[in-house]
Amino acid sequence: MSYFILQILPYLTMVIFTFGLLYRLGRWAGSRIVHNITLSPFPQSNTQALGILGAELIFFRSLFNFDRPLWIGAWLMHIALFSVIGGHVVGIYFLGRQFVYLGMSASLSENMSAVLGTSMGLLMLAGLLYLLIRRFTIAKVKEVTGPSDYLHLVLLLTIVVIGNIMRLWEHDLGISYAPVKDYVTHLVMLQPVPMNHEVLTKPLFVLHLLFVQILLMIFPFSKLMHVFGMFAERWIINRVYKEPAPGLPNVDVAAARAAGAGLPSGDGAA
Amino acid sequence: MPEVNGLKMPAKASEKEMKNIHIDPVPDDQKVEVALQHLDEMRKKFRSFVMAMESCVKCGACAENCHTYLGTKDPNNIPTNRAELIRKIYKRYFTLEGRWFGKLVGAEDLTLDVLEQWYSYFYQCNECRRCAMSCPFGIDTCEVTFVGRQILHWLGMVPKLHANVGAAMEKAGNHTGLPKPSLIDTLEFLSEEIQEEFGVEVNFPVDKPDSDILYIPSSADFLLNPYTLMGAGMFFTYIGANWTIPSTVAEAGNFGLLFDQRFTQRHNVTRLLDASQKLGIKKIVWGECGHGWRAAKMYIPTLADRPVKWPIVHLHDETSYYVNTNQLKLDPGKNNHPTTLHDPCNYGRACGMTKQLRDVLSACVTDFREMTPNQEKNFCCGGGSAILFDDPEMYDLRIKFSAKKAEQVRATGVGANGDGYLCAPCSICKAQLYPMVEEHKLGVEVKGLIDLLGKALVWK
Ligand code: HEM
Ligand code: SF4
Ligand code: SF4
Repeated sequence: MSYFILQILPYLTMVIFTFGLLYRLGRWAGSRIVHNITLSPFPQSNTQALGILGAELIFFRSLFNFDRPLWIGAWLMHIALFSVIGGHVVGIYFLGRQFVYLGMSASLSENMSAVLGTSMGLLMLAGLLYLLIRRFTIAKVKEVTGPSDYLHLVLLLTIVVIGNIMRLWEHDLGISYAPVKDYVTHLVMLQPVPMNHEVLTKPLFVLHLLFVQILLMIFPFSKLMHVFGMFAERWIINRVYKEPAPGLPNVDVAAARAAGAGLPSGDGAA
Repeated sequence: MPEVNGLKMPAKASEKEMKNIHIDPVPDDQKVEVALQHLDEMRKKFRSFVMAMESCVKCGACAENCHTYLGTKDPNNIPTNRAELIRKIYKRYFTLEGRWFGKLVGAEDLTLDVLEQWYSYFYQCNECRRCAMSCPFGIDTCEVTFVGRQILHWLGMVPKLHANVGAAMEKAGNHTGLPKPSLIDTLEFLSEEIQEEFGVEVNFPVDKPDSDILYIPSSADFLLNPYTLMGAGMFFTYIGANWTIPSTVAEAGNFGLLFDQRFTQRHNVTRLLDASQKLGIKKIVWGECGHGWRAAKMYIPTLADRPVKWPIVHLHDETSYYVNTNQLKLDPGKNNHPTTLHDPCNYGRACGMTKQLRDVLSACVTDFREMTPNQEKNFCCGGGSAILFDDPEMYDLRIKFSAKKAEQVRATGVGANGDGYLCAPCSICKAQLYPMVEEHKLGVEVKGLIDLLGKALVWK
C-alpha cells in the first residue's frame, strides 16, 4: 500500500492534476468577454489595473473592506499556506539550511526552519479551524455552505494536522529532510526508491502524502480553482476605461449669456 | 400569479404579450430541454458567467453586501445562492464533478419547479453589482441574473411589466408608449410651465435637423418627472446649445439590458443610430437614467452593428464640466433644503460617474450631506433592473429591498424636519423612491439632479 501511494499514485496524481487544470482553463478560454463590464471607478492605466489585482491578491482588499472577520481568518490561513508550501520546497531542497545564505550558521538555520515551519503549520491549523467554525456558526455562511465545502476544509485539516504531528513529535512520528529529499529526487528522476527506504516505513508520512494527492486530484474539479479564477475574473472586471472629453459642440456660454438666451425678448442684456 | 409553490413572483406576460416581443412561449413539456440548450450556449459564450459558476468558494462575503438579503433574510437572496440556482443545474449537466458526485457537490436536475425558482429570484435581483464589488474574486452575480433572465425570456417567462415596455419601445420609440403628438404636446406644456415659474423662454426642439446635440431623455420624465425634463431644457437654453430630442427614440432606458440583451436591447441602439445619422448631430447626451446609461455607455460599442461616430456622454458629464469651469451662475439659495444624494448603482459601479454628481449637487444646494456608504459603495434603492412591480407581494418586497436605503437616508438627518431632499438622478430610482420615502416615512422629497440645477440657474 505504502509502495502504491508513494511510488505509483504520484504519477497518476500529476496526470489528473495537469490535464484537469488544462481542461478547466481551456473551458474558460473558450468563452469570451462579450460586453464591457468593467467595475468603476475605472483604472486609468494598466499599471493601475495591476495595482488593483495586486491589492486583492496580496491583501485580499475586498474582503478587508467588506467582511473583516472573514478577512482575518482567510488572510492568515493563506499567508500560512503560502509559507508552508514555500517552506516545503526550500526546506526539503536545502535540508533546512536555506538561512545559511542569509548569514546564519547551519544549526541556527535548521532551528529557524523548524520554528518557522511549526508556527506556520499551527497558524494554518488555527486559520482552517476558524473558517470551519465560521461555517457552522454564522447563519449567512451556513446558508451558503454545502457538503463539499465542509469536506474541503476537513481534508485540508487532516493534511495539516498530520503535518503538525510530524513536526511536533519529529523524532517519534516524523521524518527528517534528508530521506524526503532523496525520495523526491528519485520520484522526479522516475526511479523507484529501494523497498527498505525510510519514507516507506513512516505511516504518517505516507498518509500525509495520500491526502495531499487526493487534494491535488480534486483540485481541478473543485472550488480550489479560485486561485486561477481570481485572475480570470479580475481580467474581466478591472480594465482600463477612458472617458470621452466633456464640452458640447458649438457651445459658447459667455456669448449665450451676453445675448440673453432664454430671457423674454427685449429683456436681454445685449 | 404572485405566488407559485410558495415563491413570490411578478405576474407573467401572457402568450399574446410574449408574441408582441417576438417570442413564442415554449410549452411546459419542452421547457427543460430548451432551457438546457440555451444554458449550454450561454456558458460557451460568456466568460463572466462561467467564472461565477466555477470559481466561487462559498465564503459568504457577498451576503451582507446585498440589500435584498439584508431586507428579506431570504437565503436565496444571498448573491452566491441566487447564482447557485443556476450553478446546481450547470454542475449537473456541464461538469464532470456534478455528473459523478451529484448531490455531494450540490448538483441537481433541472425541472419546471427550478425554472419557477429562477423566475422568482432572478426578478428579485436588482442587478446592482454590489456583490461583484465585495467578492474577493470579483464574481459578478448580476451576470448570472442576466443569463437567467435571458433564458427565461426565450422560454416565454417574462414579467408583464418588462414585456409591455419592450413592446411599447418597438411600437412608439419610448417605454411609455407616447406617440409623437403627445410628446410635442407635453413639451409645449412644459415650456409654458417654465415661462410661468421661472420667467424664461425655453423651447424643446423635436427632430430638428442639423442639430449639434441629440438629447435622450427618459420617457418617464414626460409624465412622472417633469422637472427633470424642464431642468435639461433650461440647461441647454442657458448655455445656448443647438439641441434636439428625437421622437423616434425619446427614451434613455433600455429594458433589453434587463431581460433580453439580444433583439430588445439592440433594437433601441439601432433606433438611436438611425436618429443620430438622420438629424446630422455631433454629440449624444444621455438623460437621467441609470440602467439606460449603462446600456448606452458600456453596451453600444458591442451591440452596434455599424461604426458609431458620435461621442456619447451623460448629461452630468457635461453639467459638471460647465459647473467646474465656472461657466454657470448658480444660486444654491433657491434649493434651500437639507439634501442628500443617492448614487444610482449603474452610475457608481458600472459607469464611473460619482464625482460629477457631487460637483453639480454641491453647487446647486445649500446643505449637502453625504449618506454612508456612498459612491461606488452605495446600496441600491431596491428598484434596480425595474423590478417596480405593483402586485401586493412584490410591492411588499420593494419595501424590504429599500429598507437599507431608508436607514442610510435617516442617518443623514436630512428629513428630520420633513423638508429634506433626496436627490436620485435616475428614472428607476425615482419611480422606486417616490412611494418608498412615504412607506418609510423619511420626510424627504425625491428630486432629480438636473431639476435642482435648473432651479438654481441665475439667468441675468
Ligand atoms: C489570490 C487570491 C486569493 C483569494 C482572495 C483567496 C480567497 C479565499 C477565500 C475567501 C477562501 C474561503 C475561505 C472559507 O472557506 O471560508 C479561500 C479558501 C481557500 N484558498 Fe484561497 N484565495 C486566494 C488564493 C489562493 C491560493 C493561491 C491558494 C493555494 C495555493 C489558495 C488555497 C485555498 C484553500 C486551500 C482554501 C480552503 C478551501 C476551503 O475552504 O475548502 N487560495 N480562499
Ligand atoms: S446584483 Fe445586487 S441585488 Fe443582485 S445579487 Fe448582486 S448585490 Fe444582490
Ligand atoms: S463573495 Fe464571491 S466567492 Fe464568496 S460566496 Fe460570494 S460570490 Fe462566492
